[in-house]
Amino acid sequence: MSERHPRKRAAFEPVAAPVARNPAMRRPAATVAGGVLVLLRAASGILWGLTVVFPLPSWMQTVAGAADGSGADPTFTLSDLGLDGAVFFGILGVITLVQAVFGILLLRGSNVARVIVMLVSTLSIITAFAGWWELGQEITVGTTLVTVSLDILVLLALSSRDAAAYARRNEKV
Amino acid sequence: MGRLLDGFFFVFAGLAAVWLAYLSFTQTFTLGWAGIIMAIVFWGLLAYLVLPRLHRILTAIYVPDYFMGRTRTSDGLLGDPVNLAFQGERAQIEAVMAAAGWIPADPVGLGSSWRIVTSTLRRRSYPTAPVSPLFLFGRMQDLAYQQEVAGSPAQRHHVRLWRCPDGWLLPGGRRVDWLAAGTFDRAVGLSLFTLQVTHRIDADTDIERDHIVATVRDLPGVEVDVIRDFSTGYHARNGGGDSITTDGDLPILDVRGVRAAADAGAADAGTEGRP
Repeated sequence: MSERHPRKRAAFEPVAAPVARNPAMRRPAATVAGGVLVLLRAASGILWGLTVVFPLPSWMQTVAGAADGSGADPTFTLSDLGLDGAVFFGILGVITLVQAVFGILLLRGSNVARVIVMLVSTLSIITAFAGWWELGQEITVGTTLVTVSLDILVLLALSSRDAAAYARRNEKV
Repeated sequence: MGRLLDGFFFVFAGLAAVWLAYLSFTQTFTLGWAGIIMAIVFWGLLAYLVLPRLHRILTAIYVPDYFMGRTRTSDGLLGDPVNLAFQGERAQIEAVMAAAGWIPADPVGLGSSWRIVTSTLRRRSYPTAPVSPLFLFGRMQDLAYQQEVAGSPAQRHHVRLWRCPDGWLLPGGRRVDWLAAGTFDRAVGLSLFTLQVTHRIDADTDIERDHIVATVRDLPGVEVDVIRDFSTGYHARNGGGDSITTDGDLPILDVRGVRAAADAGAADAGTEGRP
């Protein structure tokens, strides 16, 4: 036996990404998928807002409603909300803007944005699951399946090893 | 703290994906003809998101992360066997492989992935088709070469190479510069473990190993040495669930006597005169 090797590697790996500092890393597909899905949600919010004000073809309202998570009734209009138009668009605008900003931050590889979006998605998934399991709310294509899918896909993409490594590419090990 | 959170989200997303697959599965039976589309969506979710994530979580627990003569897939499953080694610099290996008629594989990307699918379906030649990533020393392959058979990416010889970490020794104490895994893709099929569309490999990996050795052994400057019974001969399965058998020998291709194109003339004194 020669002298013992001073630094043996651990023989098991962590479940999450083993982080290696790599500022030159190319943006992985998982990060692009996560960012684009969040941007799509922002876009669907705008579309839904437009359907409330302008009468769009009903198929487009259904798509927008399903994608936005409201499962909006196609005949839903501004007066149903009991809100002033300015307030409605103010709220919708802020939500859409926040989503768009987070989508862009994700594409730029921000780890803080990644963790916040994952937290929000997790809460949303838990809420949907609790309603489905405890209250028997149906989750179908016609109701909230598209929203739940989007949340889960965003979470899968952003929690992947590639996305984590990219978001942490500038961290010191 | 951040790592812990990452681990939590990684596992939670896996569980959520299982639930999503279940939901889409139940939708398959309620939508009539559109159910066929939902069935495809269900397969896509299962094969490309749910099962890879579950394998990733489980293999992190049960597959030891030390060298055991096997590569690993991106999902952590045991992949193709390590059945070749090289001595020499990268430029020398590139020169030898080029001279032996091996073609470097394109990096995996959206464009190259799309092209391998379309050229396989239309039976068109794609000599620089990408190869899937396999991992050794926790790293994707550094080099990948292939030889197309019968003018279609469905069947091909291919070999992946990894540079060994500095100071790393083979079990038994021998030093090599590179390790490689060569297998023959015989057809396109579904992976047993993830249900993904993938290449099925020929079970007798020794034939492909010996083919690679045969293509380069007569080139000037190449020496071949073999570690007999480097691993015990074994039967197993690779990352796609295909059977593999090997006698356990590890040929070592010494290309240090080769003059690489890049440094030809510059490093004559260092490489020539070697036995």
